[in-house]
Amino acid sequence: MNGPSFERGYNTLKEQIDAPVAAFFSSCVHCGMCAEACLFYTETGDPKYTPIHKLEPLRKVWKQEYTFWGKLGKALGISKALSDEDLSDWETLVYDSCTLCGRCSMVCPVGNDLAYMIRKLREGMAISGHAPPGLIGATKRAVTIGSPMGVKFPALQAQIRHAEAETGLTLPVDKAEADYMLLLSSMEVMNFPEFIGAVAKIFAQAELNWTISSEAFEATNSGIQIGVSDIAAELVQRIVDAAENLGVKNVISPECGHAYMAIRWEGPNLIGRPYNFKVIHILELLEQLHKEGRLKLKDKDVRRLTYHDPCQIGRRGGVLEQPRNLLNAVAANFVEMPDTAGMNWCCGAGGGVSANERADELRIRAFKRKKAQLDAVQPDALVSACANCRIQLEEGLEEYHTDIPVVSLTETIVEHLDGLGSKEGHPS
Amino acid sequence: MSQISNDLEFRRRLDRLDRTQQRTLAASFIDHVLSLSNDERVARAVKVAADVNASNDELNGALHSVTAAAMDSHARCDADCKWTDHAGYFVARATMAALSPEGQASGNPAWQAAMSSRMARTCISIDSTDDGGEEEQAEQYRILNNYLNS
Repeated sequence: MNGPSFERGYNTLKEQIDAPVAAFFSSCVHCGMCAEACLFYTETGDPKYTPIHKLEPLRKVWKQEYTFWGKLGKALGISKALSDEDLSDWETLVYDSCTLCGRCSMVCPVGNDLAYMIRKLREGMAISGHAPPGLIGATKRAVTIGSPMGVKFPALQAQIRHAEAETGLTLPVDKAEADYMLLLSSMEVMNFPEFIGAVAKIFAQAELNWTISSEAFEATNSGIQIGVSDIAAELVQRIVDAAENLGVKNVISPECGHAYMAIRWEGPNLIGRPYNFKVIHILELLEQLHKEGRLKLKDKDVRRLTYHDPCQIGRRGGVLEQPRNLLNAVAANFVEMPDTAGMNWCCGAGGGVSANERADELRIRAFKRKKAQLDAVQPDALVSACANCRIQLEEGLEEYHTDIPVVSLTETIVEHLDGLGSKEGHPS
Repeated sequence: MSQISNDLEFRRRLDRLDRTQQRTLAASFIDHVLSLSNDERVARAVKVAADVNASNDELNGALHSVTAAAMDSHARCDADCKWTDHAGYFVARATMAALSPEGQASGNPAWQAAMSSRMARTCISIDSTDDGGEEEQAEQYRILNNYLNS
């Protein structure tokens, strides 16, 4: 296997420039609106965090390789070619100060999808060896162990046993022909294992025929975050193989932002074929069960609750109405923050930023935007649907001395379930 | 009184206790796994939880302190996990559950603390086939039996 090199990285960048990327660069009007949409710019005031500026290495390659004037300048030796030093200089801009949240893409007046381009730029950055050590380590573990955090199946089994003790239910593993196969993120297994018991209770009430695969339980995809499509494809393929071997009809993406983007939206393109099953986000499924009358709720939370949209589930993933419908079903006093839903501000930790220790100070600084959103509505509790967002929200609130509990939407629903129905994790 | 030998009965007995009893019992459960945490804030918070005469201010202060300890000990996203190091996170979580004020806690704080304490114990042996959680469970039954019989 070839190691990282500038030449390979440059060639990868050339390959990444497809028709949309070329169109985006040629149509940019340099208005700077993307800057005002990026929390790394708004919270620091530093122009280097302007999203289009972060794309400069990719723009240089596009100009030199695919435009008349760029080719001419290169041939005459009057334009400065992209160098390995340039990529090294841009590494922190591309990985530390971009969560791939896509808010910049929403405001671009000519419709440029800057987040899509950053994702492509990361492909060349990673291949040339300019990716953060934290993400490199996570990606290696995802490939060799099956989890970016090194969580093995026995560890999940231990958490399943705890969930069984907690709920009194039997959680089905490797059940063939199940209707639904639940994926989990390592963050849930390690930091929020109560999520497992929560979904088990809901599925028991709804009498859902479901399972967890021992072969592929990990939902996250480090290949997407670091920007190596071959690895991203391999990780998606593992889930596809497990789902198809078990013969399940649906795969449930859990409370994790980028996992949903990976398995639901990028996955089929990565592996080059459609799935033989459907992918559904846990919030989509819960709302569906509620609409079908299979999610019976006994009362409403009287606290003032607000909802933080994980970017890859909401803005990028399209799951915007479902969490609101669910919250209105369980909360008597649900309030929206300003700039909510499709225009929500990122928590500051997505896109691999939280895996990158070098970015810690900037990540917490960027959280000030979320803090301002929360200050505007003064909630009693903050609900979200991503374990990574949840940790960042808790850390940020702690840092800025704000006492607001952060809770999972799925777990919030469970607290208002009316009875448990079947005592089994799946109907007999 | 019959001896507790299963979680259903264990939970039922815990539910019959008042809030202060639940908190102090939770502290006893945590005390048995406290050696798995090396954070002084957690040890101090457990002492407050165990004090039947603790004031609301003391309880709130301890909760803030142990919440910060939990934040400092969670597994970082995409970091290489060391389950043995992670036990301290669950000890902190158990203490948070013990100290959570009524209305904010989800369910019985003693039960939540018991579950997190078992997870802390499991962390030590999670990469092997031995599940230390079962021994912790037996110890928790013993603690509650002794409490109820005292």
